Amino acid sequence: MKSILIARRAFLASAAGAVAIVAGTLPALAQSAADRAVEAAKQYSGTTINVLYEAGLQPLDPKNFTGPMWEELTGIKVNVIESPLPEIFTKTMQAHRAGSGAYDVLNVVPNQMPDLALAGALEPLDAYVEKYGFADELQTIAPVYRDNQMKVEGKIYGFPDDGDTLVLYYRKDLFEDPENQAEFKAKYGYDLGPPQTWEQFGEIGQFMTDKYAPEIYGAGLLRQPGNAQYMFQERFRTEGGEFFDEETMKATVNSEAGLKVFNQMLEENKWMPPGVEQWGFIEAFNALLAGDIAMTVSWPPVGRWAAGYGKGTEALSWIPETTVADKIGYALPPGNNPELAVGFSLGVASGSKNKEAAYLFIQWMNSEDISIQRVQLPYALRDPFRDSHFTNEEYRSRWSNADEYLDTLKAGAESGLLDLSLLQTDRYEEGLRQAISSLWGGDDPQTILDDLAGQWDELTERIGVDEQRRVYSDWASKPNAYPN
Amino acid sequence: MAQAPVRSGIADNELAFKYLLIAPAIFILLLIGLYPFVKLIVVSFQNISMFDDIRSFQGFIHYERLFEDVRLWESLLHTALFTLVALPIELVLGYLLALLFLQKLPFKQILVAVILLPIVIAPIVAGSTWRLMLDQRFGPINQVIGWFAGGDVKLLWTVDPLLVWPAIMIAEVWQWTPFMFLILLAALSNVDQEQLEAAEMDGASRWMTFRKIILPAIAPVMFIAVLIRALDLFRLFDVIWTMTQGGPGTRTETISIYAYQMAFREFEISYSAAIAFLVIFVLTVVVVLALRRVEVAR
Repeated sequence: MKSILIARRAFLASAAGAVAIVAGTLPALAQSAADRAVEAAKQYSGTTINVLYEAGLQPLDPKNFTGPMWEELTGIKVNVIESPLPEIFTKTMQAHRAGSGAYDVLNVVPNQMPDLALAGALEPLDAYVEKYGFADELQTIAPVYRDNQMKVEGKIYGFPDDGDTLVLYYRKDLFEDPENQAEFKAKYGYDLGPPQTWEQFGEIGQFMTDKYAPEIYGAGLLRQPGNAQYMFQERFRTEGGEFFDEETMKATVNSEAGLKVFNQMLEENKWMPPGVEQWGFIEAFNALLAGDIAMTVSWPPVGRWAAGYGKGTEALSWIPETTVADKIGYALPPGNNPELAVGFSLGVASGSKNKEAAYLFIQWMNSEDISIQRVQLPYALRDPFRDSHFTNEEYRSRWSNADEYLDTLKAGAESGLLDLSLLQTDRYEEGLRQAISSLWGGDDPQTILDDLAGQWDELTERIGVDEQRRVYSDWASKPNAYPN
Repeated sequence: MAQAPVRSGIADNELAFKYLLIAPAIFILLLIGLYPFVKLIVVSFQNISMFDDIRSFQGFIHYERLFEDVRLWESLLHTALFTLVALPIELVLGYLLALLFLQKLPFKQILVAVILLPIVIAPIVAGSTWRLMLDQRFGPINQVIGWFAGGDVKLLWTVDPLLVWPAIMIAEVWQWTPFMFLILLAALSNVDQEQLEAAEMDGASRWMTFRKIILPAIAPVMFIAVLIRALDLFRLFDVIWTMTQGGPGTRTETISIYAYQMAFREFEISYSAAIAFLVIFVLTVVVVLALRRVEVAR
């Protein structure tokens, strides 16, 4: 623990040193995007900017790290306002509708960006990007995030700031055990390893459960509808499903692919831990750390924490002691097209009274210089999103197989699938969430999917078929909308 | 005869002074009560949604939609059924508890305080606590049931359609039965003891004593308690939101949850105003009828 504390102190000291150097050389050089932002922001010294962040660990970055640093550099105070993830869209829209100017900086879930931009809640950032010379550094954001989570109808509305991608975590000790390998091969005829298809996932999971349950189950996936909808979106597409018929805009979620995924999910629950239907992020994470499951699919922070990164950090004191450090392997989920689930882009509220200061703050946070520090904060939830983050030597040596971890995230960022993004996306997602909760409730899968398709069609009619077709076609034409 | 106009003038002045005294309170009440109501009605005739901001009169389009919206009527049905089941349970349990506490009990004051604790807990906290209590992995309820069943049990209280309403009912009854208990304890404490003793001497049965003496004595207070709880149950939101968010599917969706979804998730502002007006209308009719009935009974 001591060594970690020392490492943390050294990390913060080096960060502070970097800031001091940056601050000291600003007037003379002012070369990097971070430098330019700091220099320009000094004119707003004494003001306060309100920053909307997802509640939980996310806001510890602006509260403990970037906020105090920014205040020291520029004299601008950062006031962090927290909101649970499902409420962020609502609060952003409410503030915009009421014209309250409650927020200056926004965290925007990328697939909700079109809704917020078209409703006028987001400030276009192109003029600022040009004014403060940020265009070059935007180009070094990993292409999948840069090309898909930044613009709406050609205008920049946010800076991709969180490289979310789903990752398969598996127990290397169980997978590499010679006895397990021999038994598995004898039974299924192929080598035991990270599953490449969801059929293999089912077979490996069943094998592990048969052998080790109730001590260890084959897998525990996130089944709460809010999480499971992302897994469905991914699996549905890797099975060849398409959400809509592009000609008619009729929902095709009730196709064979949809039914196959729903049936597979139901079958998997039978060999997963009892009550897995209630599992969310925390339940699956706890089970992995406790050594209760052989596989899970979750967001990137799970991999860091399972390896013990950040152990001893006060903000992570709630995390149970990992029993599987050095035993966790990383791979892309079956199908090799992971969902780029959720993610965040940094934006500026159109109703902000401090737009320029807010913009400069997000440019500084998102810059090469500062973002590499932020994605390494052990307690924060920002995941690597710039090319340089994946190759950063310091990060790659943070724990024994951190290099494998970063390589997996990089691979995810290349082949990952975008969350469905339409006009009023959240309403379509709400239907999907309800469908999944009905599935766990025991309703017939085909009936659920037919109802969902009907609900989506009704919604599309209400929003406007032509308008929605235009948005869907634009989304579907992106390289990461469907597997190549 | 000549003094009458003077007296009348004084009376008028007194009346005017009284009105003047209550005018600020009336003004504030109108401001915070009537204005939002009028605004609600106005918005329900406009068309304001995530992308539309049409402030002109749009006719009855949202009211027509109410009649076609199956999910709305299902949520109303859920609300009504839950109210009809939970209310009598809370009333009977509260009454029985109150009867018990009319007796001499050791540590009575402390016990009353403990029983009343759930009322002071925020419903959102109560709902979260019950969700954890009923959780398959971390909750103690299934563990306790397992001890009696002689093995592990898998009861998915917030997922299984057969268990989800009972789970909500447990949380709601746990939190609000003490309210009934408190009100009924106060009412029962004021029942005329002489009448009870006379009934006992005359050989009246317990049922007759309850029906002819106790019930009439506590009826006005009980009616108010039932009315308050019925209104609360009709607006039920927090506990369900934290336990199931209206699921599985929309099986536990109440009218408040549906209205919230429409207003703050889907930003159908005008339509949700129409829903709110419908709720206000239904509740007003129920309350007026109930009050009338009590007035007639008197």
